[in-house]
Amino acid sequence: MNFDLNETLANMLGAIKGAVSDNWGEVKSTANQFIDRRKERLELLAELRLGQEITQEKFLSTLEDEKDLLEAELHAIAIISKAIAQNAANAAIDVLSKAVKAALSAAL
Amino acid sequence: MKQLIRHSSHLILVLMMLGCKVQFVPEYNAEIAKQIDATSKMVDKMYLEMLETTTPEQRDFSKFAKAYVSVEVELNSLLNKNKIRPLNEHSIKITELTLAKWIKYKEEHKRDFENDGKYASGNIKINRIYIRDFFNAMIVAENATKIIKQEQNQ
Repeated sequence: MNFDLNETLANMLGAIKGAVSDNWGEVKSTANQFIDRRKERLELLAELRLGQEITQEKFLSTLEDEKDLLEAELHAIAIISKAIAQNAANAAIDVLSKAVKAALSAAL
Repeated sequence: MKQLIRHSSHLILVLMMLGCKVQFVPEYNAEIAKQIDATSKMVDKMYLEMLETTTPEQRDFSKFAKAYVSVEVELNSLLNKNKIRPLNEHSIKITELTLAKWIKYKEEHKRDFENDGKYASGNIKINRIYIRDFFNAMIVAENATKIIKQEQNQ
């Protein structure tokens, strides 16, 4: 049976790198979008407080909301990261499966 | 004989691996994505109408209670749908945070109007932006599952 483990491992690593780099832009663009929205929210919050359109109590309460929103956004990024990891793991498994299939076909 | 059994078990393992795929996130659910979008629009409409068509003194909570409840019902429904999906702990948490925030804003409106006889436009402006971004986190989370390569789902 002709099965080159080193070559297969190198190909698996290549598949993982390819899957991660294909999707990395998704994490970056989402993180940038979250940062831009945070800037917009905090500008509005400061403007409303300085203009006395909201009370100090509401200002502090909204800062608590900001913490919860950060948590929600980090959960969203975690899903993107897991999806990328899933693509990478399955790409590596595909490479291994194909290499084993090819070796089996040659042997039978 | 022992060698034959060992080789057979290796072969079975290899054959099992040929069909093996890992899954870390749930599959994309278009119905949930649509419901998030529709609920987000309900919230935006409610806040914009409140801002544009009423003065702070006209914002009696009872006039808006029905709209608050309608959104809360949709968020509860989204939470229940997310809870029955496997591998979905992140979306469940985001939906729980969004629902808690919505209830907080509802209670704030009720309390402020009872105490002061008005509900400030500043509160509406800031709550609208925060709740919009909680919904955005929900939709980003749902759309993230679209990243999964299609051939992996087959």
